[in-house]
Amino acid sequence: MRRPDHLPGRTHGRSLAFLLSLAGCLVAAQAPREALADVAKPVVHVFLQLDVKASVVEKTLRDRLPGLAITVFGRYRDFEEALGSGHPDAIVSIAPVLTDKGKVPTLQGERGGKTTEAYVLASVNQVLEGSLSGKNIGVVDLFGRDGTQTFLDGLLKTTDVRVKRVAKIEDLLPLLEFSAADGIVLPGSTMAQLAERTRLVIKTKEVPGPPVGLSAVAVLNPAVRDTVVKAFESLDGPTKQLLGVDRWRAR
Amino acid sequence: MSGRSRGCVSHALRTALLLALGACATTGGGQGDSAQKLPAIVDPAIRAGAPTLLIAMPSSVNFMEVRKSLVSEVQSKFNVQTFIVGPQTRASDLAAAIRAAKPACVVLMNNATMALYRQYQMVPSTDETPPVVLLMASFLEEVQPLIRRSTGIAYEVPGITAFVNLRLVMSGAVNRVGVVYRPAFRRFVERQTALAARERIEVVSTSVPNDFSPTVLRDALHRLASGKKLDAIWLLNDNALVRDAELLDDAWRAETTAAKVPLIVGVPNFVDPSAPLGALAVVPDHEALGLQAANLIFDLLDNHWHVEGHGVELPLSVKTVVDVPMFRSTFGLRPDALKHIDKAME
Repeated sequence: MRRPDHLPGRTHGRSLAFLLSLAGCLVAAQAPREALADVAKPVVHVFLQLDVKASVVEKTLRDRLPGLAITVFGRYRDFEEALGSGHPDAIVSIAPVLTDKGKVPTLQGERGGKTTEAYVLASVNQVLEGSLSGKNIGVVDLFGRDGTQTFLDGLLKTTDVRVKRVAKIEDLLPLLEFSAADGIVLPGSTMAQLAERTRLVIKTKEVPGPPVGLSAVAVLNPAVRDTVVKAFESLDGPTKQLLGVDRWRAR
Repeated sequence: MSGRSRGCVSHALRTALLLALGACATTGGGQGDSAQKLPAIVDPAIRAGAPTLLIAMPSSVNFMEVRKSLVSEVQSKFNVQTFIVGPQTRASDLAAAIRAAKPACVVLMNNATMALYRQYQMVPSTDETPPVVLLMASFLEEVQPLIRRSTGIAYEVPGITAFVNLRLVMSGAVNRVGVVYRPAFRRFVERQTALAARERIEVVSTSVPNDFSPTVLRDALHRLASGKKLDAIWLLNDNALVRDAELLDDAWRAETTAAKVPLIVGVPNFVDPSAPLGALAVVPDHEALGLQAANLIFDLLDNHWHVEGHGVELPLSVKTVVDVPMFRSTFGLRPDALKHIDKAME
């Protein structure tokens, strides 16, 4: 067995940083080749809250949609920044995010014949009943600080909850584990995965606000509309399921 | 020694700890910087009337990631000024930066920066003390009481987070996890034990003295691993526990291999299929840490900068690195595990 002479005796932080730096160099070296291959492909940005790593979703979509240049964003700020600087030809997100950005869905996802789903308020040991005034409620950052507060206010039909924004859906569970939030709000369809990963006793109730639109595709560049629409309509069942839908409906 | 006195770290000791840690675990990657040219730090344009957030930090990669995320979140409400702290920086330099910026809030990153700030605070002054947010420091729960008007986010990944991530990867149950610790980590381990109990995970701990030998560590690991029905062993981010290759080979690698239990580690380079040691590394997600810090600052702003009573938060977001062949061959890999792994080492 090789002796790990390279392993640190002093500073973990330095080692971690070195590895991250090296990874960055490798990615940078590879990028131009990929960029050349993606020339002329319609650029599609994807931003969804899924209980699957963004890198996995990205690899799956790139494999299934070789005619599109797919980038999957795991965080709202990265998505928002790239929307301005990356000039995507199409974006994929839940309908309210598209609407917030002034985009109109070209394809609306459906699941079980519905284009929306209910969100739930989850808490530990007992359902959060009564006034939510002043309560700390966790939610994935889908719209930035102000937009996410407005989104949550609409879902909970109140205006004075204290929003705990997290970057990724898996970061909601620690809020409950650490007692850092009174409850969390998330799509009802993701509750099964949450329950699977924790032994906390999770209680839920449907939020009083309206159901939220499922994943949708907005084509921003009319010149590539047919290409993008055909590509997404051709996705197999498991990949559509990964995106939280079972079919697309043209709008 | 009474139980009460055992449970307290003296003020002098804590101060020494703070200063000693200035050169310790969370230096944020100085070595990496030589291999990678870091982008220049450019603060957003100053807007009249907006409060100022002063960020004091080293100029290395992990800190830059946190800063970038933090600035992107707060720049709509704050002017941001960044003060780079290096080996030559004196407390008076930091003091001058604070006086010039007149910040509504100060963010301090790493133990060395906090040690400088502590020196600045110890000098009698009529300056108003701004609220302080502490990030990316070891032993933050011990450091925070030493800095007036401060709160922050701990840097160490909580055990409960690491254990729950192991559940997402390993096909078997995760109910009991062993840990070896030195006396300085006792309170940390106690806190982690209580937290892990919320997820019905029992932490079985054993201590070794500060001046332990490789044999002592190996014996401690052997006692832990034999007869305790452990599902995993957790290696703390304590440099002394991994101070040389002999410890890694003859204690950690030998005992975890013999016991056939996965070793959970806190640094990714301990996960390497060509030299198997750690099965799963769980490390801080620096960009998400920036968002959490921004949330904390906004909370303080909304609460009229009342820092008092706002306890140190735990980090919410992590990344995982997994030795996939090790799980496949020895521990069992859940069918959907790869969906939940940031970096799968093959």
